[in-house]
Amino acid sequence: MKERMGKFRSGLLIAFVLILAVAAGVIAFLLSDTSGTHVALGPEYTYDIKQYAEIDPALILYRQVGETIETDFENTHAIAVDAEGRIYVAGDERIAVYSADGNVIKQIELGAEPTCLAIDGNGGMIVGLSDTIEMLDAPGVETARWKAPMPNALLTSIATDKNNIFAADAVNKVIWRFDRKGNVIGKVGEKDEKRNIPGIVIPSPYFDITMAPDGLLRVVNPGRHLIEAYTVQGDREWFWGKASVGIEGFSGCCNPINFALLPDGGFVTCEKGLVRVKVYDADGHFVGVVAGPDQLGWVEPLRVCETPEQCSSKGFDVAADSDGRIYILDMVRKNVRIFEKE
Amino acid sequence: MPRIQRAVPILVLWILCAVPAFCIERFPPPQFETDYTLKEPTTPMPRGEWLQILDVVVLVAALSLASWLVLKKRSRKAIVGLMLFCLVYFGFWRRGCICPIGAIGNISLGIFNADYGIPWVVVAFFFLPLVFTLFFGRTFCAAVCPLGAVQDIVLLKPLTVPHWLEATLRLVAWLYLSLAVLFAATASAFIICRYDPFVSFFRFSANPAMWVISISMLVIAVFVGRPYCRFLCPYGLILRQIGRISLFRVTITPDECIHCRLCEDACPFGAIDKPTVQWPQKEYAKGKRRLLLLVLCLPIFIAGGTLLGYKLHPRLAQVHPDVELARRVRLEQAGVYKERTDASDAFYASGQSQEQLYEKAAAKQKQFAVGASIAGGWMGLVAGMSLIQYSIFWKRHEYQAQRSGCVACGRCYNACPRHYIWLKKKKTG
Repeated sequence: MKERMGKFRSGLLIAFVLILAVAAGVIAFLLSDTSGTHVALGPEYTYDIKQYAEIDPALILYRQVGETIETDFENTHAIAVDAEGRIYVAGDERIAVYSADGNVIKQIELGAEPTCLAIDGNGGMIVGLSDTIEMLDAPGVETARWKAPMPNALLTSIATDKNNIFAADAVNKVIWRFDRKGNVIGKVGEKDEKRNIPGIVIPSPYFDITMAPDGLLRVVNPGRHLIEAYTVQGDREWFWGKASVGIEGFSGCCNPINFALLPDGGFVTCEKGLVRVKVYDADGHFVGVVAGPDQLGWVEPLRVCETPEQCSSKGFDVAADSDGRIYILDMVRKNVRIFEKE
Repeated sequence: MPRIQRAVPILVLWILCAVPAFCIERFPPPQFETDYTLKEPTTPMPRGEWLQILDVVVLVAALSLASWLVLKKRSRKAIVGLMLFCLVYFGFWRRGCICPIGAIGNISLGIFNADYGIPWVVVAFFFLPLVFTLFFGRTFCAAVCPLGAVQDIVLLKPLTVPHWLEATLRLVAWLYLSLAVLFAATASAFIICRYDPFVSFFRFSANPAMWVISISMLVIAVFVGRPYCRFLCPYGLILRQIGRISLFRVTITPDECIHCRLCEDACPFGAIDKPTVQWPQKEYAKGKRRLLLLVLCLPIFIAGGTLLGYKLHPRLAQVHPDVELARRVRLEQAGVYKERTDASDAFYASGQSQEQLYEKAAAKQKQFAVGASIAGGWMGLVAGMSLIQYSIFWKRHEYQAQRSGCVACGRCYNACPRHYIWLKKKKTG
């Protein structure tokens, strides 16, 4: 009898435990919410870059001079400055030339939407029209025109010296080297393990290049957060840059997006997402800040773009003149600001 | 045509449907140098290519060894040894991922979505146990599956689950499989992975609800043999069906059954069928009528299931993020919800129009209408076939391990006196 009672009790206990476990499991399943619909993520998951946007005033070495030049463009893509300090802005199937005080000097009509622009040594212009290169003389008359070797090319930057024209192709991740007649005579930046070239990484279509007075081509490798120097034959000579949200590094997935060379060989870089225009010396050491969100009017909203689509088309371009003045084109608000060292 | 030859073309078709993909890292992630501490991911990080190859090699080796231990060596101790190794390797070291059970989601998505490339290692993990089952029975469940191993080692006081309850609860597994395929095929969710009750232990990480589910399942497993395997595991269901036609299978006795009845209660999973007695004539006639009625009712079950699935599809579709977001946005716009969620915040920031979102959601709901109807019809068929199965008189002359239900754990060997004679003979040569 006693044994039977014991068995009955243990059976009852097991049944109780089982019912409790099943009930707990079912309730937990019904209450579980893995979709994030009912509860927001905790603050640790919030993407807040405010703290990184604040720049130590001591680091800001430049101040804006003159009024902000408001252009009448609907879309802008590139800025360049010539030896006389005239400002060239490309967009809306044209190039507008401004004086330093913001007056329009002339307009040059193009047949298609320009994607990049460079000032030629002879006073002319070289324009990239997605997959086409167009050479213009100083008054803006077309002197030559040719297509990039690949049909899907997207030319995002042009650089030139006496004999060569270099065009950065963001889709094919390569810099095409042309002679002045438009013949392809080489490629730069293409991945080549034998030559110790890691290749260009371009997550969003920003790929800027500039020819330096030392004869080496400076190239942004945005996915690797680097600025690299190549010979015209395509040998990688040196590079600098590091990824960091800290002021001395390049933030986000892919920065800097554009850069310009200063007369002393230094670099002016601009970043998208977290808007920062900064100066580095010729060896790549951080020198100071030209402008941050505060100086560029991007405090509210803080970010220039929110979605990948926006970040692919909205950003900043930068140019520098022979006196070291820095010209910043805001492609979102279509204006130009000029900064001078304090 | 022999059964295996019939199964091979189906298997080849499945493999062709699921074309594997090889992935590479596209660009290096940025290195942030701040005081921000990166969160530990809750899912395992991708493994290197050679480690994935090693995983597949270990899987093949474990399946081969398990098959040998179960069918030739007939050693429960050795099976437990291998089970513990696989628990450590596939469970704790590989943190339960990829497992063939969760791979059902990947394979379903790969079949129904041409844009999704299935990693080759997932294909290997999904198909290898199926191939081994086709030849050797459920040896994967016996010693290789880490989920089975966890339940096996905590089984301390097994209770007998009544036959009717076992059959009814198994329908839950069919429902789970149907929903898992539906949600994966519509690119909504991988629910098998999301609600894996043992992965919390393997990763020492889960949300509170999942911990409760995991611990509950473990507590149940102390008294009910392998409850997840028997009543929930969708992969186990597939293996059950393949096990029915396997070339070799577990036998309780190594040679002949002497009807000693010692093995009758040896299986804690209710997978031993007893010899049958002839039904009385009256019972036989009754069973025949019932069978006829059920066969006639089968189309009604299917139609009912299809209708139920169709009726439930708007609710099921809410599992898809687009449908749920569209519902949320609509209610936020109507002022029903005052607060926004992270998802609706992201939607408003994207610049996408509400009409676009509603169109996307409507298209997805259409997919669910078709999918849920098929799943419902399938459940009706399964329920009807289960009833039919129990209305058929199956002849058995000896105690047998079920072809489908036996997980090849080897517990019954030691209950069979013929097994000891066989062992003795083996020793003496």
